[in-house]
Amino acid sequence: MPKLGHPIRTLAVLAAVAAAFAAVAVGAGAAPARHAGDTISGAGSTFVSPLVSTWIPAVGSAFGYSLQYSAIGSSGGINAITGRTVDFGASDAPLTPDQFTACNGCEQIPWALGATSIMYNLPGVKNLLHMDGPTLAQIFLGKITTWNDPAIAKLNPGVSLPSTNITIAHRSDGSGTTFNLTDYLSSVSPAWASQIGKGTSVNWPVGVGGRGSSGVSAIVGQTTGAIGYADVAFALKNHFSYFAMKNNSGKFTTPGSRGILAAASSDQKPASDNSLSIVNPPAKYPNAYPISTFTYVIVPLQTSKAADLKRFLFWAVTKGQAGTYTAALRFVPLPKSVLVVAEKAIAQIHS
Amino acid sequence: MTSLDLTDAARRPFTGRRVRFGDVSLQVVAGTAAAAATVLVGLIVWKVVDGARPAISHEGVQFVWRIAWNPVLGREVFGAASFLFGTALTSLFALALAAPLAMGIALFLSELAPRGVRAPVTALVETLAAVPSVVIGLWGIFVLGPALQRYVEPALHSVLGFIPLFGPPGSAGPSIFTAIIVLTMMILPIVSSISRELFLGVPHELKEGALALGSTRWEMVRGVVFPYARGGIAAALILGLGRAVGEAIAVTQVIGGGVFIHWNLFDTGDTLASKIAESFQGAASDLEVSALFYLAVILLVFSLLANLTAQWIVWRVARAHGISRGGHA
Amino acid sequence: MEGLAWLAAAIAIAFLVLIVWSVARKGASELNLDLLTKGPAVTFLSTAKVGLANAFAGTIVIVGLAIAMALPVGILVAVYLNEFAPASIRNGVSLALDVLNGVPAIVIGIFVYGLFVLGHGQSGLAGSFALACLMLPLVARSTMEVLALVPNSLREAGLGLGIPQWRTTLSIVLPQTIGGIVTGTVLAVARVAGETAPLLFTSSIVGTQTSWNPRHALQSIPVAIFELSESPDPADHARAWAAALVLILFILFASLGGRWLATRSRTRMLSR
Repeated sequence: MPKLGHPIRTLAVLAAVAAAFAAVAVGAGAAPARHAGDTISGAGSTFVSPLVSTWIPAVGSAFGYSLQYSAIGSSGGINAITGRTVDFGASDAPLTPDQFTACNGCEQIPWALGATSIMYNLPGVKNLLHMDGPTLAQIFLGKITTWNDPAIAKLNPGVSLPSTNITIAHRSDGSGTTFNLTDYLSSVSPAWASQIGKGTSVNWPVGVGGRGSSGVSAIVGQTTGAIGYADVAFALKNHFSYFAMKNNSGKFTTPGSRGILAAASSDQKPASDNSLSIVNPPAKYPNAYPISTFTYVIVPLQTSKAADLKRFLFWAVTKGQAGTYTAALRFVPLPKSVLVVAEKAIAQIHS
Repeated sequence: MTSLDLTDAARRPFTGRRVRFGDVSLQVVAGTAAAAATVLVGLIVWKVVDGARPAISHEGVQFVWRIAWNPVLGREVFGAASFLFGTALTSLFALALAAPLAMGIALFLSELAPRGVRAPVTALVETLAAVPSVVIGLWGIFVLGPALQRYVEPALHSVLGFIPLFGPPGSAGPSIFTAIIVLTMMILPIVSSISRELFLGVPHELKEGALALGSTRWEMVRGVVFPYARGGIAAALILGLGRAVGEAIAVTQVIGGGVFIHWNLFDTGDTLASKIAESFQGAASDLEVSALFYLAVILLVFSLLANLTAQWIVWRVARAHGISRGGHA
Repeated sequence: MEGLAWLAAAIAIAFLVLIVWSVARKGASELNLDLLTKGPAVTFLSTAKVGLANAFAGTIVIVGLAIAMALPVGILVAVYLNEFAPASIRNGVSLALDVLNGVPAIVIGIFVYGLFVLGHGQSGLAGSFALACLMLPLVARSTMEVLALVPNSLREAGLGLGIPQWRTTLSIVLPQTIGGIVTGTVLAVARVAGETAPLLFTSSIVGTQTSWNPRHALQSIPVAIFELSESPDPADHARAWAAALVLILFILFASLGGRWLATRSRTRMLSR
C-alpha cells in the first residue's frame, strides 16, 4: 500500500534541506569575514617560487595577514593578474607592450635576481661537466643526440662520457625560465634565433614537456640522460648536477652568487618599463654566469589592497633579500641601483 | 533507459482540467529549471564558439589541417592538425585495444565464467570504473610508462620495427603508446559493463533455442548473442570513443607534448583536450587563448558527435526491440 | 574461439588487478593521519611533516556545494519533463541534457572560467558550479527514470480524490522516488568527486592553508594528486598515492552504495 505522504510534511522536509544547504553556502561564505587585509594572493613564476615560499611564514608573522602564492608559470601569472584573479603576478619574462595594454594599468617591478641552471641526470659521471652556448643550442635543436657526441667531449677532455641518449626536458606551460633560456640560446646561436626564437612558450623541436619547474625536474630525475632547465634552487633541492657554462670571456661559470652578481653588473639601469637584460653578458664580466635573470612582480597601479601590497613589496625587496631567505636558494640580493628603481615603482601603487 | 513507451494520454491524465495556482507555480518553477538547463547548454556552446571567433577569423579554416603551434611574438601561427592526429591516433587505438578486451570480459562474466568467479571479477571491473582519470594518469606516470619504455617498446620495435608505428623506442616514459594504454584502461570499464548487461539481456529462449538445435556455446554466442546485442555494443563502443576523445588530464600526464605528426607510437605527442589543459592557463597572448577555444570547438564537435550517435543507436535499438517484443514487459 | 575470449578476459583482468594492486599497495604504505590533519609544505626546502588537509577540506566543500546546486535543479527538470512537458519539449530538453552529458570536462572548465573567474577571481563556488554542470544530466536522468516507474494509478488516484496536481506530484509521486534520487545523486557524486579538469582553471590558485570558505579558491584532492604526480620528490608521489587510495575508496563506496540503493528501491517499486 503506497504511503500517502502529508503534503506539508514533504514540502517542509524539502524546504529544510534546501535551507540547510543555503545556510552552509552563505555561512561558509560569510563566516571568516573577508577583510581587505586578510590574504594577499599571487601567482606566476615557478622560478621565483622557492624564494616567495620562504617569505610566506615571515610575512605572516611580520604583518599578520597571510601571503598565498601559486606557482603556475610566468605566463599564467601574467594572465592571472591581467584578469585580476589574483592580487599580484610574478614573471621572469618582462611584459610585452601588448601585455601591458591588456593588463590595463599594471607595472612590473624587479624583485629578485637568480639564475637558470641547465641540469642533467647522468649517474655514471661525477665530474662537473662543461658546456657552451652553441653546443647547448645544438642539443636543444635535436642535432646532438648522445652524450658522447664529439662536441660535448671536446668541452670535457679527459671525462669518459657514456653513449646514453640525450632526452630534453622542457616546459609545456608558458614559462619565464623558458624565456630566459631561449633568450640566451638566441644570443649565442644564430640557428636557434632564426628557427625558434625566444619566448615564454616556443616550438620545441624535440623533447618531453613538463608542467612547471617541478615537472621538468621530475622528468630529469626519472630519465637517465635527460637535460632540463630550471631555477638553480630546483637543481639543489633535487640534488641534480648542472653544467658549468662558458661565458663570453671563455670562463666556465656555475649558477652561484658570484656568477649571478657578475652578470647583474652588466645591466645596472632598468629600462623605462623597469626591465633588465643580463643574459650572455659581454667578455668584460669574466665571472658572469650567462643564463642569469632578474624576475618581476606585476601589480596593478590601482588596487583596493594597495596598503598591504605596498607593505609586502617593500619588505620583499629589502628584508626579503636577506641571506636567511636567499642564500640557500642561490638568489642574490638586488643591486642598489635596481633597488632604488623598485622602491620608487612600489611607491606608485595607490588605492 | 527510461520506459517512455507509455502513451502521452495514459501518462498525463490531467489534460483538460481546471487550472489551479499551485499547479501553475510548480509548472513554472520546474519549467524554469528545464529552461535553465537548456540555456546552459546553449551558453556553453555559444561561449566556446565566441571565444574561438578571433582565431577563426585570423587563421581561417586552414587551422584544421595546419601543423603548427608557435606562440612566439612575431611568429604567431596556430593549427590543430597535430592535435587532431594525436586525438585520432590515441582514441582509435585505445578503442581497438579496449573493444576485444571488453567483449572478452563481458562474455566471460555473462556466459563463460563459473558462478563463483563472476562476483569478484565484476567487483574488479566496478573498481576500475571508480578510478578517476587523474589516478590512472598517476599510475601511467610511475608504473606503466617506465615499464613500457624499458621492456615493451624495445621488444615491439625489434619484432615489428618494419612497421612505422613501432619505430625506435622513446628515451623516457611519456609517449603516445603510454597514452593509448591509459585510455584503454579508462574505456574498458564503460564498454565492458554495458556489453555485459547487453549480453545478460539476450532472451533466454533465443540462446536455449540455438543450443537445442545443436550449436556449441561459441556458435551460440556468435550466432545469437552478438547479433542481438550488436546495436548496443556499437553504442557502447562509440560512447567509449567519446570518452577517450574528451579525456584531458590522464593524457596530459603521460603523453609528453609536441607539435608534429609522427607515426611512431613511441614518440611523444599531444591531443586536443591535453593541449587545452596544458596551455590554457599560461597562454602567451589573446590570440593563443582564442586558438585554444578553436581547439575546444573542434573537440566539442567530435565528442558531441560520438555521444549523440551512441544515443541515437540506443534509441533505435530500443525501438526495434520494443516492437519485436510486442509491448513492454 | 572461445579460448580467445578467455584470453581477452585474462589480459583485461590482469591489467585491472595491476592498477588496483598498485594503488592499494603504494597508497596504503603512506596512509597516515598526517595526510588529513597537516597541510602541505610551506617553504621550498622544508622538511616538516606534511599532508593534504587543505585538499580534503576543499573537496568536501566543493562537492557539497555542487550537490546543493545540481540536486534541486535536476529534480525540478525531471519533474517538469515527466509530469508536465509535452512530448516535443520533453525530447528537446532531453536532447539538451544528453548534449550536456557529452561535453568534455575540460571544455566545461574553460566555459566556467570565462563565465565566472575572469575579472572576479577563482573560487570554490566556481569549481562547484563546474562540477554541478557535470552532475546535472546524471541527476536529472536518474530522477526521470524513477519518476517514470511510479505507476500512473497513483496519479489517477490523486486526481480521483480531488487533490490538485501539484500536491499529487509533491506528496504522492516524489516521495516514492526519494530512493532513486538518492541513488542518482550518489552516483553523480562518485562521477565528479575525481574530476580534475573542471577545477583546473576555476579553483587551483591556492595557498597551503586549510580553508572552508567557498568564496576563495580551494584546493581539491584530484588537483592535488595532479600536481603531486608532476613533482620530482618521491615523498610527494607517496602522498599522491595515499590521496588516490582515499579518493578511490570514497568513490567505490559511493558507487557501490548507489547501486545497492538502486536495486533496493527498484525492487521495492516494482513489487507494488
